[in-house]
Amino acid sequence: MDFKPSPERQILFDTLKKYFENEYSLSDRNIAAHSDLGYSKKAWEAMRDLGILESLIDPELDGFGGTALDISTVFEALGRGLVVEPFLEVGILAAKVLSKGSDYHKSLVKKILENDCLPILAHSETDTEYTKSFVETMLSKAADGSYKVSGTKRMVKHAAEATHFLVTCRDNGDAFSEEGISIACIPADRDGIKLDSFATIDGGRVSDLTFTNVTVSSEELIGDIGKSYSIVSQAIDTGILAICSEALGIMERIKELTLEYLKTRKQFGVPIGKFQAIQHRMAQLLVEIEQARSSVINATIYFDDETEREKTISAAKFSIGKIGTLVAEESIQMHGGMGMTWEYDLGHYAKRLVLIDHEFGDEDFHLQKYISL
Amino acid sequence: MDLDFTKEQKNFQNEVRSFLHETLEPQVVEKVKNGIPITKEDSERWHEKLNEKGWLAGTWPKQYGGQDWDVVEKFIFEEECGSAGAPRIVPFGVGMLAPVLMKFGSQEQKDYWLPRMLTNEDWWCQGYSEPGSGSDLASLKTSAVREGDYYIVNGQKTWTTFAQHANMIFCLVRTSNEGKPQEGISFILIDMNSPGIEVRPIITLDGSHEVNEIFFSDVKVPANNLVGEENKGWTYAKYLLTHERTGNANVAVSKRKIQKLKKLADDAKKNEKPLSHDPMFASRLAQIEIDLQNLEITNLRTLASVEGGEAPGAESSIIKILGSEIEQDIDNLTRKSLGKRAFVNEPDALSAGYNGSEVLPKAAAYASGKYFNHRKKSIYAGSNEIQKNIISKLMLNL
Repeated sequence: MDFKPSPERQILFDTLKKYFENEYSLSDRNIAAHSDLGYSKKAWEAMRDLGILESLIDPELDGFGGTALDISTVFEALGRGLVVEPFLEVGILAAKVLSKGSDYHKSLVKKILENDCLPILAHSETDTEYTKSFVETMLSKAADGSYKVSGTKRMVKHAAEATHFLVTCRDNGDAFSEEGISIACIPADRDGIKLDSFATIDGGRVSDLTFTNVTVSSEELIGDIGKSYSIVSQAIDTGILAICSEALGIMERIKELTLEYLKTRKQFGVPIGKFQAIQHRMAQLLVEIEQARSSVINATIYFDDETEREKTISAAKFSIGKIGTLVAEESIQMHGGMGMTWEYDLGHYAKRLVLIDHEFGDEDFHLQKYISL
Repeated sequence: MDLDFTKEQKNFQNEVRSFLHETLEPQVVEKVKNGIPITKEDSERWHEKLNEKGWLAGTWPKQYGGQDWDVVEKFIFEEECGSAGAPRIVPFGVGMLAPVLMKFGSQEQKDYWLPRMLTNEDWWCQGYSEPGSGSDLASLKTSAVREGDYYIVNGQKTWTTFAQHANMIFCLVRTSNEGKPQEGISFILIDMNSPGIEVRPIITLDGSHEVNEIFFSDVKVPANNLVGEENKGWTYAKYLLTHERTGNANVAVSKRKIQKLKKLADDAKKNEKPLSHDPMFASRLAQIEIDLQNLEITNLRTLASVEGGEAPGAESSIIKILGSEIEQDIDNLTRKSLGKRAFVNEPDALSAGYNGSEVLPKAAAYASGKYFNHRKKSIYAGSNEIQKNIISKLMLNL
């Protein structure tokens, strides 16, 4: 039995950790994360040069990683750095979907690595419906053999800069059916696409997208028509593993920040960490964070196991949702007024940690899903 | 990352499994699986069979009749016993005192006491807590004063598990009032049949008799029953506590209890449907299952680090907190799942000689009793608050 990461992955993690500590300042990150673009192109390019994207992508598509363990390792490091650049959206969601398509689609993955292309998955349609198969956007056939896509996609992160949208749509079945789902890879400048863009609480911008009779050729469809649910489902499961790992990195960083604060902040003449009321809250957090880590390890172990994957993923997302919110709230409380300020790092980590529960299904959704499996 | 057992470890697992299958007595297993206390005789018969196989003290070195099990073999053995519904090995002798004797005892003490633990000749109990010294154990007052070849012991111990069965007790006693409280404590072995010892039962809120208080009035103890050096007992006690806490996640037991609970919930009805389909119940159960699944990995991670050569530290405090709370959660939900039947308290319903009305489901015989009895789990072996103190000190450096 051995839970240690392989030496290669440990080196990768340590390298990234060091890079973020030295080169990715949180104050610069915050300026970029809350700018009109929502991230820093300079930081994105610097990190691309570091090979982060390659580590998320299979060797057959010119990457050098892409396994569950690679993804988990990298995203824990990204979490520590509170990286806002679109690694999840491009390196995981879009790359996973495109890798199941034609040679043309696969070539887009290679273009991602060359920084020539920024495809974004546009899937979610309502704010509170987390079921992966929920799609109402319509795909209809036109007289000339091409297709038309019409519908609304909501809360699509980093959409404004996208070069392509990977749009889930259906030509048959009811809104929740796994049958009938297709994915259209549509250049972002095509006619009929409208963007409404918003700032976010945790950094990066999101958009609601409206597609009105957008023309799509049959070559632009990824996978067989009406049979693409499993592609988007697996991409989202990978995304869940990634953001659960990101949450772990955030929690570890919050733990460090809070411990440092408890040892330096003095009241009544002693560091506040000397008070048992504080010690027990902090010890409880440590216990919970260890459980959160175990849930992610469990999901990683079973990630390639078709029968266990969804159940362990839901258990992990539930654990991360529940524990993440606790860690965020408790760490702010233990920091007192300092935890409430924009200037101090903690609040920014806490915001991202809480909002991770709103992505790909919250703790309640995944608990119900766990029960149903 | 590699989570598989080695081939040898798998073989050992199979060997344990088939041994348990052949050897366990069905009526004892039924008691264990329904959470009903077993008798002293049940325990002794089980110890005897384990000893014949050489597994009563598997972690002991071979020279003392053990198997030199490492942490993983110990884990495999305990997990298999847990899922099979085997009685728990009474830990005070083989699990707690023995490591202390092996490390700090004289050759004479090792040669005399260790073999007797394996043959049921001695039933040990643990004399630590006192009325005024619980979490603050070092404040203990029971005194031992050297007079010639004897110590004269006066004082009181409490919460002593199975003192009613025991013929021997290992005690922490005060031999000095100089310096820090920890520096005047000694570790001594006392014959429970000595004149001046009185054992009084403490009946716990569920009506059961597990713990006792013990009064010592001018009890004469041979001086060669002192373990190690005088006034070094605190060191030995701490050493013992790390053994007490290591690897006590009880994951297999909790898993078995969850399976039992699921069966109860399938058979019970609410709104004309099985209770297991009730959303509130299902949600409570699923949360416990996920917590337990996470604990299983947390426990294995601790085990792997010990196997990899790291010393078990405050990680065992994490395991103790989680293991106790999860087991309490299961007992809580089991009680709830029985509805009105949870009023019943017939802990003898599965014992030979019981002639009352049959209790159905059988688990109802002692479910509420068990729930109340198991409140002890977050209190004993260092309360969960003490565990958090340990985590703050050793892991968080606060």
